[in-house]
Amino acid sequence: MKNAIGQELNPAQEDLIACYDQLARVLGERGDELAPFEQRNALKALAALWQIANGLDMDRGQLYDLGA
Amino acid sequence: MTTQSPYWNPRHETMGRDELEALQVRKLGNLLSWADAQVPYHSRRLRSAGVTPDSISSLDGLKRIPFMTRDEWMQGQMGHPPYGPILAAPQDAAIRYHLTSGTTGKAPIRVLDSMKDWEWIAEMWCYGFWGFGVRPADRVFFAFSYGTFVGFWGAHYACEKIGCLVLPGGNMTTEQRVNQILDMKATVVCSTPTYALRMAQEARLMGIDLAGGPVERVILSGEPAGSIPATKKLIEEQWGAKAGDTAGMTELGTIMMFECDHQPGGAHIIEDHYIEEVIDPDSGEAVGYGEPGERVVTSFGRGFIPVIRYRTRDLVLKVPGSNCACGRTFDIYDGGIRGRVDDMKLVRGTNVYPRAVEAIVREYEAIDEFQIHLYTADGIRDEIEVLVEIPDASVEAEPLCNDLAKTLADAHEGLRFGVKKVADETLPRFELKAKRVLDEREVVGGRGERKQA
Repeated sequence: MKNAIGQELNPAQEDLIACYDQLARVLGERGDELAPFEQRNALKALAALWQIANGLDMDRGQLYDLGA
Repeated sequence: MTTQSPYWNPRHETMGRDELEALQVRKLGNLLSWADAQVPYHSRRLRSAGVTPDSISSLDGLKRIPFMTRDEWMQGQMGHPPYGPILAAPQDAAIRYHLTSGTTGKAPIRVLDSMKDWEWIAEMWCYGFWGFGVRPADRVFFAFSYGTFVGFWGAHYACEKIGCLVLPGGNMTTEQRVNQILDMKATVVCSTPTYALRMAQEARLMGIDLAGGPVERVILSGEPAGSIPATKKLIEEQWGAKAGDTAGMTELGTIMMFECDHQPGGAHIIEDHYIEEVIDPDSGEAVGYGEPGERVVTSFGRGFIPVIRYRTRDLVLKVPGSNCACGRTFDIYDGGIRGRVDDMKLVRGTNVYPRAVEAIVREYEAIDEFQIHLYTADGIRDEIEVLVEIPDASVEAEPLCNDLAKTLADAHEGLRFGVKKVADETLPRFELKAKRVLDEREVVGGRGERKQA
């Protein structure tokens, strides 16, 4: 996996980005199915994982539409 | 590897300048696209300057975008209360509300941030704390009131993120704070420079030698004094600890610069999250390395309120990151924030900057507290005096005052300064930003000056 400036991520970094993407997908597509404790903790985790994506130059846009 | 790295984000903090500039241009494009799509206020400004998000392909292109000013922001708030027309996300996505500190005497700016923004706010403080050597094993005391002023809120969360034990010091007297620092064996203390000195004074009155205590680092913010060498030296001596400066602003929600543990005499700009320009405050033209000017900030981090080319009124002097041996490529503001463009007082034709006065006064260790007092003599003449407290009865006050008056005059083109000793504990003490200038002149004139009828 390459970031926005064409650098290869290492396997650990790739796993973190995969976590972020999966979490964002769950919240975006099936957030309404989640209990409050699931949804709000997932949002908080997503907000933290966004910092990793940002720091790795993976442009993932904003999260306000998801509530984070 | 994790705790051994001297950098919070090793790749970004050490990347070559060309690579860093490419990163900034890419992030700038993202920011402009976001602001253009979400904030009609920004969209209009960009369009009126003939700028589209994809039309800027270098940092030089940034100059095509008009400056944002605080006055403009305030007018926007008044026209569209309570936040103005600058929010890029719905208010219900916000989790926190803050205000500027109000030290300028103007109406405060109100800001909102989301969950993601708050993680980012803490992230910026992590750069600073980690860079100054704070690690998970540290116990960090915050001498901070935890109110609507954003202050050290982000630093608190940064320390939790790093894994430190956080010791919140809100709603305490100074004596209680000193006791708490010692009882909990705090290794790091966060406060304004003024309040760090205030706590040291209190400790002396309590018969406590802070320099022999557990504190290894004092992290300063909120005032320019954190980078005044004499003030910093005094703090380091009184606490027996390294003192590191940081600077932030409510308009950004967090810090934009920090001093690393190499203590290069200034603060590294967090350039993977900000573009910092330095301009001549009169002409608006860019100035180069080593030339003083006003800082103008563009922030990539806070999506809720895009900040693009915001004129801060802070006076700075930028030098290359290579001036520091820490290995960061981030440029440095030598001497941190050197004051405010509008701090300058014109006294009988001579410019007087409060920071310059403080730098001299702090060379006199016997002076505990001081105030710069401007007044009108005989109804016509500007006068300036420095009121000082000298609590140590063994110190001869008169020669000290005379010497200080001469030093101040020598540093200000011969301008006459009065220096008066006043009774102990009569000058104001401050927990947040100190206001040590009392301007009681009946009529004042000149650029950057307040006018009274």
